[in-house]
Amino acid sequence: MTDPVLMDMTGIGKSFGGVPVLSDVSFTIEKGKVVALLGANGAGKSTLMKILSGTYSRDAGSIVIDGQPAEIKSPADALRYGIRMLPQELSIFPDLTVAENIMLAALPTKSGGVVKTLDGKGMEATAAALLKRLGLDWLSPKARMGTLSHHVQRIVEIARAMAGNARVLIMDEPTAALAEAEVQLLFSIIRRLGAEGVAVVYISHYLKEVFAISDRIAVLRDGRNAGTFTTAETDVDAVLEAIVGNRVGDIYPPFATPDAAAGETVTVRGLAVPGWLRGIDFSVRRGQITGMHGLVGSGVEMVGRALFGAVPRTSIAGAEIDGKAYAIRNPGAAVAAGIGLVAAERKREGIVSMLSLRENMSLANLPLFTRGLTVDRRKEQATTGEWIRRLTIRARDPEQAIGTLSGGNQQKVCLARWLLGELKVLILEEPTRGVDVGARQEIYRQIRGLADQGLGILLISSDAEEVAGLADRTIVLAGGRVTEIYDRPTDAAHLMSAASKSAAA
Amino acid sequence: MTDLKSTASAPAIGSSRRARDLLAKPWAGTVMLLIFYLIIIVIFTVLSPFFLTFRNLISVGTNASFIGLMAAAGTPLIIAGGLDLSVAAVAGLAGVVVSMGVAVGLDIWVSCVLALIVGSAIGGVNGALTNGLRLNPFIVTLGTMSIISGLSLVLTGGLTNPLLIDSFNWLGSGRIAGIPFPLLLMLVVFAVIWWILAFTPFGRYVYASGGNPDASRMLGIPVDRTQIMLYVGSGFAGALAGVIVAAMLGAAAPNAVGGYLLTVIAAIILGGTSLFGGRGSVWGTLLAVLILGTLNNGLTLLNVSSFWQDVTKGTVLLLAVGLDQLRVRAQN
Repeated sequence: MTDPVLMDMTGIGKSFGGVPVLSDVSFTIEKGKVVALLGANGAGKSTLMKILSGTYSRDAGSIVIDGQPAEIKSPADALRYGIRMLPQELSIFPDLTVAENIMLAALPTKSGGVVKTLDGKGMEATAAALLKRLGLDWLSPKARMGTLSHHVQRIVEIARAMAGNARVLIMDEPTAALAEAEVQLLFSIIRRLGAEGVAVVYISHYLKEVFAISDRIAVLRDGRNAGTFTTAETDVDAVLEAIVGNRVGDIYPPFATPDAAAGETVTVRGLAVPGWLRGIDFSVRRGQITGMHGLVGSGVEMVGRALFGAVPRTSIAGAEIDGKAYAIRNPGAAVAAGIGLVAAERKREGIVSMLSLRENMSLANLPLFTRGLTVDRRKEQATTGEWIRRLTIRARDPEQAIGTLSGGNQQKVCLARWLLGELKVLILEEPTRGVDVGARQEIYRQIRGLADQGLGILLISSDAEEVAGLADRTIVLAGGRVTEIYDRPTDAAHLMSAASKSAAA
Repeated sequence: MTDLKSTASAPAIGSSRRARDLLAKPWAGTVMLLIFYLIIIVIFTVLSPFFLTFRNLISVGTNASFIGLMAAAGTPLIIAGGLDLSVAAVAGLAGVVVSMGVAVGLDIWVSCVLALIVGSAIGGVNGALTNGLRLNPFIVTLGTMSIISGLSLVLTGGLTNPLLIDSFNWLGSGRIAGIPFPLLLMLVVFAVIWWILAFTPFGRYVYASGGNPDASRMLGIPVDRTQIMLYVGSGFAGALAGVIVAAMLGAAAPNAVGGYLLTVIAAIILGGTSLFGGRGSVWGTLLAVLILGTLNNGLTLLNVSSFWQDVTKGTVLLLAVGLDQLRVRAQN
């Protein structure tokens, strides 16, 4: 605490479309220290960091840097203050060299000539010096980026972020795709940065890593401060409690009554995807919500789509749906076998944004609306109208392009479309990502209603709280394997510690 | 031209909300095109006494019919996210196939059916290469275009072969109830494709496949099969256009149609179909085919050199695409 404060964000508020995402949040960054920023999905971590890095503008509050009020209105402003954000996805240029990748924002040129030419030697020397500073002198600045392994590319990205006058480095889930040895390398780089006085904001769900590298821990919950800890003086339980809170599960419907007769709808043996899943067995029961939880990179994100036939090179030892053998071929075959999937990336994989609400609703089940050769539009309209009422979808008009609806209402359409046909299992990937609390409650209620009607639900979510609130039983994944099975509802803290503990093992 | 500009873009400049709402309607693009069509009709009528006669208008439609056939089939293909640059070359080859069939002693109608089969098969190859091997449709159909037009020249030695058979030539010059057969055929094809797009599940898959192929696959929609069928349809339409041209000319000329490829693509884009897929209508394409045909006809009547006609065509296309962009922005 003797370290001088580098940046101070106080009273930060931000809302999107009238829905508050951050209210009265304070966040302090100290010189040369690592501060971990934790919270459940949707707690506001990313929004806060996007405000700091100039992507979003704040509605309220102030930012003070070096004791002076700072105006950060654009990413360029943030860069001037030395704020650097490491993107979650790799953004590299595979055909350029390491040196070019690092120096791209400010390529040195030779002076004197009529035409400015690239100073290749100077560029390589500067890049080499920077790599040395980070303890990476084994890395050649002349190497072509595309020939390097994934994690080395990641590290070059850090070097790029450090070029110039970097003072704060924001890392969002930096270890999601890294193996243990690579994590240690990353940590050694972070420690070197700290020794030079560079501050690091470290966002992660892996609590073990957070405790290994951070000096302080700041927790957000529902867009508010939920606790700040000095890492050396706290423990995992206290941090977990701050993340989850003691909020009553009032937005979740009641669990299913334990029913011995509820058999298995789906049984899966040896589901494998190279690089993601190492042969997992699981089942989904009729009338129940089976939760599946794991951290980013645990393989949990692949389970649903692999079973649905949407992942190349998926292999499986065997699967049955209602006792009948099911072979993975393609999504069309999955739909025919009675599987539905609501994809996590709604915009990319869920909706056809220029088509109307009605057309999106019927798209997966057009044969049901076909009479003779043509689509029976009247029946389509009647069914759409009914589901708009039942799910309280807020839309001006069923003929409105679905792209113009809010995320929550789009998601309700994505849910409703599977309820039109003869469905046996519904796979939900991150069903409430980017959905506001009001719509969330309605979606949870509908999911429970579907289970009550006898459907088997597989709820795949990296949000432990959501899984804890909704699932009747839960499977935890880590490192591409099933590591824990809870046959009754469990709490979020248990799930989070199970997911983060086993990942490190 | 200045007339057109001030009239058509006035609602976009006017800041009133109602104009913007009007512009955002899905049919606004087609209506703008229709207004444009009426304007050029008025201009040509004023400038040339020969223009607004029944005979001339019919001849505009008839001369544009083979372009219309290709553009009609190309529209759903582009809506679904595909592209067929080989269609005009297929038309050329179709004429060659007909003349060769006749030369080896086949019945003329058998030869025609053979040409249609060859065209459809080439469409199938295009579809298989783009959807099976996931090659870029621009590259694939550029390649097949070059192969096919080359083959047509190889097969004929570059020569034009006469095809003077009365019953066959009727396809090019015959009339039903006073309306030339090619024009009638084009209108029927447009109507059928409109019906498919508007009323059948397949039509819905066309829009979904082009609008968001990933989402469509995740819903179990046969995106690849949809596209392959559209490539086959485009090949079939290309061959049909080739047969009609051969019947009109009374000869099979390997190079007769190839030069019209750009007009076909221009008509589809001018008609409001998005090159990125997901959006478009055949009525827009039909209007655009008629507009381009009318411009050609009117400028010829006014003795404007054919060089200037190309300049005009390009200008109209750019203008239309620019206006359409304004419309899309108003929608968002």
